[in-house]
Amino acid sequence: MTATQLVGDDTAPTPTEPTAADVIPAPGDGSPSEATPKPALKRRRLGWPARIAGGVCVTFLLAALLAPLIAPYDPLADDRSNRLQPFFSGGHLLGTDGQGRDVLSRVIWGARPSILTGLIPVFVAGIIGTLLGLVAGLGSHRLNTVIMRTLDVFYAFPAVLLAIAIAAALGSGTSNAIIALSVILIPPIARLAESEVARIRSAAFMEAARVSGAGWWSIALRHVLPNAAPAIVVYCTALVGLSIVYAAGLGFLGLGVAPPTAEWGLMVNDLRQFTFSSPGISLVPAVVILIASVAFNVFGDGLRDLLDVKGDGR
Amino acid sequence: MTTLTTTSDADTDASPDSSPTDGDNTTTLRLRDLHTTFSSRGLTVHAVRGVDLDLHPGEITVLLGESGSGKSVTAKSIMRLYGANASFAGTVVLDGRGDLLAAGPKEMLSVRGPEIALIPQDPSAALDPLRRIGAQIVEVLRQHKAVPSRAAAKARALELLGQVGIPDPARVYRSFPHELSGGMRQRAVIAIAVSCDPRVLIADEPTTALDVTVQAQILALFRSLIDRMGSAVLLVTHDVGVAEEVGDRIGVMYAGRIVEYGPAAEVLGDPRHPYTRALLDSIPTPGVERGQLRSITGQPPVSGELPPGCAFAPRCPEAHDRCRAADPVLVDLPGRRLAACHLLTDDPDDTDTDTDTDSTAGPDSTAGPDSTGGPDSTATETSVETPAPAGEESAA
Amino acid sequence: MIRFLLRRLGLAVPTLLGVSLVIFVTIRIVPGDPVASLLGPTGSPEARVELTHKLGLDQPIPVQYVTWLGRVGQGDLGRSIAKQTDALPYVWEAFRNTITLSLFAAAVAIVGGIALGVIAATRRGKVASAISSGVSLFAVSAPQYSVGLILIVYLAAGRGWFPTGGMRNTTGADAGTVADLIRHLWLPGLSAALVPLGIIARMVRSSMLDALSADFVEALRSRGLPEWKIRWHAFHNTLPSVLTIAGLQVGYLLGGVIFVEVVFSWPGLGLVVFQSISQRDLPVIQAGVLVSALAFVVINLIVDTLHGLLDPRIRR
Ligand SMILES: Nc1ncnc2c1ncn2[C@@H]1O[C@H](COP(=O)(O)OP(=O)(O)OP(=O)(O)O)[C@@H](O)[C@H]1O
Ligand code: SF4
Ligand SMILES: [Mg+2]
Repeated sequence: MTATQLVGDDTAPTPTEPTAADVIPAPGDGSPSEATPKPALKRRRLGWPARIAGGVCVTFLLAALLAPLIAPYDPLADDRSNRLQPFFSGGHLLGTDGQGRDVLSRVIWGARPSILTGLIPVFVAGIIGTLLGLVAGLGSHRLNTVIMRTLDVFYAFPAVLLAIAIAAALGSGTSNAIIALSVILIPPIARLAESEVARIRSAAFMEAARVSGAGWWSIALRHVLPNAAPAIVVYCTALVGLSIVYAAGLGFLGLGVAPPTAEWGLMVNDLRQFTFSSPGISLVPAVVILIASVAFNVFGDGLRDLLDVKGDGR
Repeated sequence: MTTLTTTSDADTDASPDSSPTDGDNTTTLRLRDLHTTFSSRGLTVHAVRGVDLDLHPGEITVLLGESGSGKSVTAKSIMRLYGANASFAGTVVLDGRGDLLAAGPKEMLSVRGPEIALIPQDPSAALDPLRRIGAQIVEVLRQHKAVPSRAAAKARALELLGQVGIPDPARVYRSFPHELSGGMRQRAVIAIAVSCDPRVLIADEPTTALDVTVQAQILALFRSLIDRMGSAVLLVTHDVGVAEEVGDRIGVMYAGRIVEYGPAAEVLGDPRHPYTRALLDSIPTPGVERGQLRSITGQPPVSGELPPGCAFAPRCPEAHDRCRAADPVLVDLPGRRLAACHLLTDDPDDTDTDTDTDSTAGPDSTAGPDSTGGPDSTATETSVETPAPAGEESAA
Repeated sequence: MIRFLLRRLGLAVPTLLGVSLVIFVTIRIVPGDPVASLLGPTGSPEARVELTHKLGLDQPIPVQYVTWLGRVGQGDLGRSIAKQTDALPYVWEAFRNTITLSLFAAAVAIVGGIALGVIAATRRGKVASAISSGVSLFAVSAPQYSVGLILIVYLAAGRGWFPTGGMRNTTGADAGTVADLIRHLWLPGLSAALVPLGIIARMVRSSMLDALSADFVEALRSRGLPEWKIRWHAFHNTLPSVLTIAGLQVGYLLGGVIFVEVVFSWPGLGLVVFQSISQRDLPVIQAGVLVSALAFVVINLIVDTLHGLLDPRIRR
């Protein structure tokens, strides 16, 4: 009844159609319809894994925000005499890198570009994708076909490859990486938005709105968008972890920020030459990205399950 | 908990009106005080609340009732086709196998199929969509060692397909379910069900998904198969027309209980329970239109929230104070019939009844006061001690 | 079945055109003036005009696209700036190694994903189910480069159990043998397989749960079939949709495998693209993406065909 139908259940991937790009979770992929009949009551609170994950996500965001205050050292200050110090040595909690820079400080400062390059594309793609979905879902049949078939083309690429191609063509740099990631995130979001709009459009109150002579924009903004938004927002949340991984991936390949700026992906590539000499330190940024990715995904999943409930109940 | 020798059983047996049915040769399956409760996530649904029923060889017993009255749950509880969220009480005694509710999982595997078979409601949903019909029949035959070899299984499968009236068994044998019409699919499902010569056949609305002409064919086929095999049949339906056409005996269910029981012709010809009357009145034009039992005023109760007293009281045109105070119990009526309604126990003002009439069985009076009417009150059942069936005479 | 296949092939044509268009766009969005960068600072205005004409850059965009498409159709994907060779043969050579790695990873992902998913679906409410659900969520979230580096540090560099990189030993007793290749495949294969493994596991879990709650399962149970046979029926019914997802994941492996190849110095397309990025060798990158996209379309076709074979209902 309320339109908070989740990213789930009824949009389960159809066998003949390709699902979302790369590992972008297909709408519905994480929320299987259980064997039991629809339960009348479900938990309304986040489970403990999701809550812990949420805490970790907040920690990362705080670290990014407060980097100047909490980072113990200047992330760019190199000290050749202090190269590759082990963990906990001389005030360097996570040791130092090949140029003697404090790894912990670089991780903290690195959270800024890393998380931003992950978050912004989700925002951008969320807005553009929702708009496309609205237009496709409320527009004429032909408009719908044109938009949706165009988006389908993007499903013919492995998403990462497309992002690399675009970022490489535009040249290295944070803003180009953001553009590339936005492009590959738009199609799955637009697909979800379109299916949400199609679902809402058939609801009874829409008929009432149309009969009352409301205009296109009024219908789209006052009736459809508020009902479609929760599902889209939750889906976007679930994409943040992935986007961060992709962003770091571009950085890793040299398509993100330029050295010596601290950025996680770049750090992975920079430190991996020391797998033999300082294996612990060489793993730090890789593990940080792993933790961030798991945390954002678990949190996003938990949110999906949670809102699924609200969609079913009244 | 309830065994065959409860007080009520003994009493009813002793009553002169109803012939005892102890002769096991005439009762293939005997349900006593069957309760089925579902609980999931703190919610409890008492779907079947004390059903007694006897199934006799060669006879079709119809369970009739509105949607949600617990017909399917009764039928499937016999085969224990529910998961861990269902709990049972009572006994389901299969002639020669003892209480099925107490049987182990292994034993149930050998009961399902060769002893008790099920024909589910929707034929298309009863078949694995990705397997050919032949393979699905052979699988069951092989499972229960009904045939000595693969080749014999195939021959038997083709034979079965022929027996259920499929014109070209060889083609259907090779077909996938989606390649067949609904009627053909249902015939295939019936072929699977009868493949191991079950002694009890349970059919849960076997014709609802079919159109009227096919329905009639399937019912005729059903009848002839049963006559040949001598199985005892429990047929679940909400279609009075179907009950009329093939039923030997009818049990009318309401809110998880049997409220009226007796020979088909008599129950349908002269209904004694107000609910049965309402059911029959709801058929627009008998014989022409299928009775869909929709036009009884009001809604059936939700199995979680039963009214106190008679569950039918909120919708019953003849409800009176007693109905809301105490739950009526099944009483013997003349003509080998049973019904559960206060109107049938001549007691206008006192809930603490005495046995006034010859038709009131003894245990009712003792059970009556106990029934304060909560959904959990289970103490009020007398057994449906069915009178000597037609089958007995023919068998004897 | 033939008709079904032909229709699928027909549907692939517009997809391919779309793909080519997207790649053409990525060529055109390259910032800066290609003519100026080719000529260098010393180019005269006449030379500029001549080169612009030679490159076809004075033509309208649609004409440029058609011209480019024609060249691509003949296998001409431009010349590598860094290597000074034709891009296609160069990329193709590397791509063969990528196929080897991807197939191995696909096998790991499909086998592991199905096993994990079935456990999660059938041991519901038990510890094994919780663990396998957790593992698949972790797997989905694990970036290939992180996993690769962790595996190198713990299983290769410190221990010497596996080689830290490369595809074959050039020296040693088993140099060049299949056993040697497989030894080199394990770690990169696992790194690349993890994400699709998690996705397949989740997909298997949810469709297995769906299948187990399908009506025919109750019918099978009523026929006295033992639980394992019922699960087998259910599993069989998940295969068409699982295959589709698995096939897509195999396609997407082609993307994720880039990082793995860089981390493990696997001489595949990913490594080539990585090197080309720092050299700004765009024709090679474009050729690489085009080859991958083509492979992806082909995989989808194969998956569709298999789907038709597995599910009699969709074959027409
Ligand atoms: N597996 C189950 N878990 C929980 N409740 C159940 C389950 N199966 C049935 N019920 C409940 O038991 C009650 C009786 O259901 P049942 O299916 O027996 O009705 P029915 O008489 O067969 O009706 P219909 O004509 O619709 O098939 C219903 O209220 C239903 O909600
Ligand atoms: S007991 Fe009362 S309410 Fe129930 S059926 Fe009889 S008359 Fe109606
Ligand atoms: Mg039913």
